[in-house]
Amino acid sequence: MARRFSVQRQRGFTTIAITCFFALYLPIVVLVFYAFNSADSLSSFQGVSLRWFARAFENQQVVDASLRSLQIAAVAATVATVAATMAALATTRTEPYRGLTLKYAFINQPLMVPEIVTAVALLIFFARIKIWTGYTGLGYLIAAHTAFCVPFAYLPIRARLENMDSTLEKAAADLYATPWKAFRYVTLPLLWPGILAGFMLAFVISLDDVVITEFVKSAGQDTLPTYMLGQIRRTITPEMNAISALFLLMSICVVIVFFVVNRKRV
Amino acid sequence: MAESNAVEIRDVVKVFGFGEFAFSAVDHASISIRKNEFFTLLGPSGCGKTTLLRLIAGFEFPTSGEIILNGEDIAAMPPFKRPINTVFQSYALFPHMTVADNIGFGLTMLGRPKQEVRDRVAAMLKLVRMEKLADRRTSQISGGQQQRVALARALAPQPKVLLLDEPLSALDYKLRKDMQIELKRLQAETGITFIFVTHDQEEALTMSDRIAVMSAGKILQVDTPRAIYDAPTDRFVADFIGETNFLRGRIGSVSGGIAQVETPMAGRISATLPPDFVPDGEVTVVLRPEHACLWLPNDSAPCQTTGTLENIVYFGTDTHYHVRLQDGETQFMLREQNKPLQRQRFSVGDQVGIMFEENAARVLRN
Repeated sequence: MARRFSVQRQRGFTTIAITCFFALYLPIVVLVFYAFNSADSLSSFQGVSLRWFARAFENQQVVDASLRSLQIAAVAATVATVAATMAALATTRTEPYRGLTLKYAFINQPLMVPEIVTAVALLIFFARIKIWTGYTGLGYLIAAHTAFCVPFAYLPIRARLENMDSTLEKAAADLYATPWKAFRYVTLPLLWPGILAGFMLAFVISLDDVVITEFVKSAGQDTLPTYMLGQIRRTITPEMNAISALFLLMSICVVIVFFVVNRKRV
Repeated sequence: MAESNAVEIRDVVKVFGFGEFAFSAVDHASISIRKNEFFTLLGPSGCGKTTLLRLIAGFEFPTSGEIILNGEDIAAMPPFKRPINTVFQSYALFPHMTVADNIGFGLTMLGRPKQEVRDRVAAMLKLVRMEKLADRRTSQISGGQQQRVALARALAPQPKVLLLDEPLSALDYKLRKDMQIELKRLQAETGITFIFVTHDQEEALTMSDRIAVMSAGKILQVDTPRAIYDAPTDRFVADFIGETNFLRGRIGSVSGGIAQVETPMAGRISATLPPDFVPDGEVTVVLRPEHACLWLPNDSAPCQTTGTLENIVYFGTDTHYHVRLQDGETQFMLREQNKPLQRQRFSVGDQVGIMFEENAARVLRN
């Protein structure tokens, strides 16, 4: 066998790799480990227990915040994915023209503008609307989350569309499929993994957001991350570890679901 | 006789781009394609043949001109309303469907009853000899099989016209030969008008009823393969199809459709003047390599011109001779078929005479 160049044979590769893995995963392992601590302390481990998980589930505030997070993420990710799919179709199924790059930039604006700027802008903007309409519900949070979720949904969908042979849509049109039928029976089934990836990404990004949520939320509209932030300012108990561990479990589940569904489709 | 025409293209122009970047991909093209005809658009890449096909399919719309199908101008009609189907160069089979679903797609979109779609799919699978692979994914079959599925899919809705965009270019040589025969068989069996696009002149000559040769968006000649090969009416056509000797010269005298052309490289040669040719000034005489033969000077045959034999290339079925003409620059090529147990008559360096019939050489405009 011919010896080929491999980055794995570079000197120090193993050391660097192991260091990186530790830096990335050790804190998480520690966090999850202490979630099972039976003691009140974060520093001394006294035995295995599910006590803090039970505490978290009994805490009505945690349950409320979690449900609110899921509700916002579900609605925001869905709306953002639909918008992103339409944007991706509009920007890929067209002859290139002057101004197309500008449109990419517009769609991806939330990735480039510092989040804190958007947060402050939305705070001021929504404050105005609250005065005019008197509405104070979850709509503001959902609208804000939808807005910053769009590029995260857009990127994988556009990547999928760009890799897709557009002759397939022409073939569908050639075989008497109206534009809607061509989309329904050819484009959509082939685009589905991209849409799903976009949705998952948008969902996780929404679930995770602190900065914009912190600024936009009204009283009693804590999401799980902002609730945890609030709690950590006072006393830290292993309950936070337990909630974080559950959060982690959920993201892992989302990723696994995505992989399983995606594999079937290819 | 508009009734016998499947498609009529009337003065179609397609301009891409604007202002100084504008160029005509199709430039005032007019063709009448007859019913049940195997019609080929032939030309080098970039000549506009694929654009013309896309205009007929409806993927592009002409800048001006008419495309008549069944007495109706369809130039502005979207592709899904045209009773025309296409076999794409890349096949464009739907990867998320089975072979059977691909073939049934057109009929399903037309809203035909399920039983009819099933029967028709079965008939098409039989027609292209793919019955056993009906439930396979299109990614699980070979290139040649994909080609057959693409054909079956396009034929299933029984279109008035079938368009084929270089469908054989992705296949290897042997398979391409088989598919050429297969395509001719399908055309004869279905009676559907085929419009075939290719840059391969051999493919065009062997398969077509008629050929349109295109260059730079223009249609140069429309005729049967034999007429295109034997009697090209345009320099480009003569050059593009097969091999040709070009001899530039000036017409001396004309009598009975035969012109005496004075050439600097080969002296005076007699050649056929096309019927509507107005003789004036500089012309080119074109002659196929196999339409001339070699003589040794002492054979005392009536040669048209003479030269020095420079090169002999043996090709198995035939032998090519390269002759340097009198001006010492122009090379003239001849091709002779080899016969069994033939001994070599010429050797390099011989002074040779070149003989050809005056109706094999044709006068064309420069």
